[in-house]
Amino acid sequence: MKAKHFLPLILLAAWSLPARSQNVRDLIISEVLAEPDSCGIVDGYGRRCGWIELFNTSQGTVNFGGCYLTDDRTDLRKSIIPKGDLRTKLGPRQTALIFAGGNGADGTFYAGFTLSPGETVYLVSNDGRTVIDSLQIPAGMPKGMSLGKEAHDLRQREFVPNDAPGTPTPGSPNGRQDAESKAQVMAVKDPHGLILALVSVSVVFSALAILWALFILLFRIVEGRKDSRPAPGEAAVAPTPGKEADGDVYAAIAAALDLYLSDTVHDAEPFVITLRPKASSWNDKRQNFRKLPK
Amino acid sequence: MDQIFQSLAQFWEYTGFANAAWQNIAMIAIGIVFITLAIVKEWEPMLLVPIGFGMIIGNIPMFPGLNISVYEDGSVLNILYQGVRQGWYPPLIFLGIGAMTDFSALISQPRLILIGAAAQMGIFGAYLLALAFGFAPNEAGAIGIIGGADGPTAIFLSSKLAPDLMGAIAVSAYSYMALVPVIQKPLMRMLTTEKERLIRMPKPRAVSQREKIIFPIVGFLITAFIVPSGLPLLGMLFFGNLLKESGVTRRLAETARGPLIDVVTTLIGLTVGASTQADKFLTGKSLLIFGLGLLSFVIATCSGVLFVKLMNLFIRNPERKINPLIGNAGVSAVPDSARVSEVAGREYDPDNHLLMHAMGPNVAGVIGSAVAAGILLSFLG
Repeated sequence: MKAKHFLPLILLAAWSLPARSQNVRDLIISEVLAEPDSCGIVDGYGRRCGWIELFNTSQGTVNFGGCYLTDDRTDLRKSIIPKGDLRTKLGPRQTALIFAGGNGADGTFYAGFTLSPGETVYLVSNDGRTVIDSLQIPAGMPKGMSLGKEAHDLRQREFVPNDAPGTPTPGSPNGRQDAESKAQVMAVKDPHGLILALVSVSVVFSALAILWALFILLFRIVEGRKDSRPAPGEAAVAPTPGKEADGDVYAAIAAALDLYLSDTVHDAEPFVITLRPKASSWNDKRQNFRKLPK
Repeated sequence: MDQIFQSLAQFWEYTGFANAAWQNIAMIAIGIVFITLAIVKEWEPMLLVPIGFGMIIGNIPMFPGLNISVYEDGSVLNILYQGVRQGWYPPLIFLGIGAMTDFSALISQPRLILIGAAAQMGIFGAYLLALAFGFAPNEAGAIGIIGGADGPTAIFLSSKLAPDLMGAIAVSAYSYMALVPVIQKPLMRMLTTEKERLIRMPKPRAVSQREKIIFPIVGFLITAFIVPSGLPLLGMLFFGNLLKESGVTRRLAETARGPLIDVVTTLIGLTVGASTQADKFLTGKSLLIFGLGLLSFVIATCSGVLFVKLMNLFIRNPERKINPLIGNAGVSAVPDSARVSEVAGREYDPDNHLLMHAMGPNVAGVIGSAVAAGILLSFLG
């Protein structure tokens, strides 16, 4: 078989490669508030300050300990998120809130800089060089308002900043949280289930029909012959090496199995084995007697 | 003395007798019936014995809070039950099924694959009926999968779509799988003519080892690309089959189809049985699920048989006609439904062996039900 015959398979495999692994690259800066108003969220010290919300877009847990936050493109290691804190493990589709109070020593979730409108916040990977995500705070963003990102694709992997600042939602995923589940949507769109049933039946048939067609095609390529049916008079019983037995053999096996399973041929076995002693020079004394001279 | 009586009274409160309710007794009786059927009638004993005994275990009346029930976090049964709840066991069972399945019958007659697709109508028929009976779409999808006649797939899908109904769905699926000969034979007889039952199918062609190796790879790529949500089941099924057919991983294949599947089958049966606690299981919904499950098997069998008759209308060469008695085998209760075809075929023509022909749609049904589960998961999960 020539290597070019494997080409479709190799292309299919290559197509499936871009699947993303679950690591810090799955994190995004999902929301930023630069200047709090008098009724915003307070940090652990009772202060009101700006904050940065991180969101894990993946379906696996991501540890962002060791990553950096900065508002200065020339200083990517401005504020490190400490390693070794179990709380930096962010579950799938969860958020973490980092307060930008200006002193990173305040705790794990505190950045060593403050935020102001017009600047850009960067999330940097734990290598200190790779910018994972950034978000520019609009120059005229009013106090107490935040800028968030929302998913714009069906898979909810690609996020884009909102057009305008909005009401802050610290610590909760952005977008509609009361979105209906797929089942609820189907209950409204397809109350009798006919559409789903029709589509599903079509997909099942298509999948298996494609498998059928492709396998016939592949078989012809691999075996290099068009008519796969056995030629008249072809040996049916004696299987050749590397080939399966013919239908007669299968039929015989099937009949034997059926007879065996239906208990019509076997007698009730006593399950008692009787060993009749057989005389040998090991156990028969008579054979070991010295033969007397005649 | 009072202290002794008080202690005894307190102990009495912890016993099963003090906490017994008629529902528990009813479920224990059902468990005993399952075990009896498995031992006396030999109906799916590998499944019904663990499920039946699990039912007894799960319905021993007990004082709550002792951390021993299957629904109490951290108990031994609860930890074992996570394999069902999280859907870990079904893919492992599919690995074993793949390692013990010979796809030769399907490869030699690829057209039979469509019968496996037709028999999945049972799933979607039951889905429509379940919706009509007022179930939510996700519940209806989980109930419909009973028609796939595939226990692991039913558990996998119901754990994702309707965990609360999983016990009833699993028990229903396994019960009807055990009853395949009883359900299918009359339907096959009803839907076929004497002439059709006597059709002799052409001998399957020889299948090379190379084809058998390529099949799981190509089969997996095609089905998984079309329905990625069926990946856990399809991936394990075809991987197991590749272990079997590659010829170089004999030990892995033997483990997958032997000790591994035995261990997982024991655990899945026992924990599914134990999850049928009376207060969660004995409801009107469960009875309805049992009824819909039976209907889904009926629809699946009829669809398979009628689809073969339809195929025959388009087959001009009389020697290439398909015996409709193998249509029921599209219901993926491997190998029971194929064996029903063999037995039914030999009733009318003792020399007409249909087993190997029926194995084609039978294994296609396994693939088809996994694909159908993936589709339902995509739409409703």
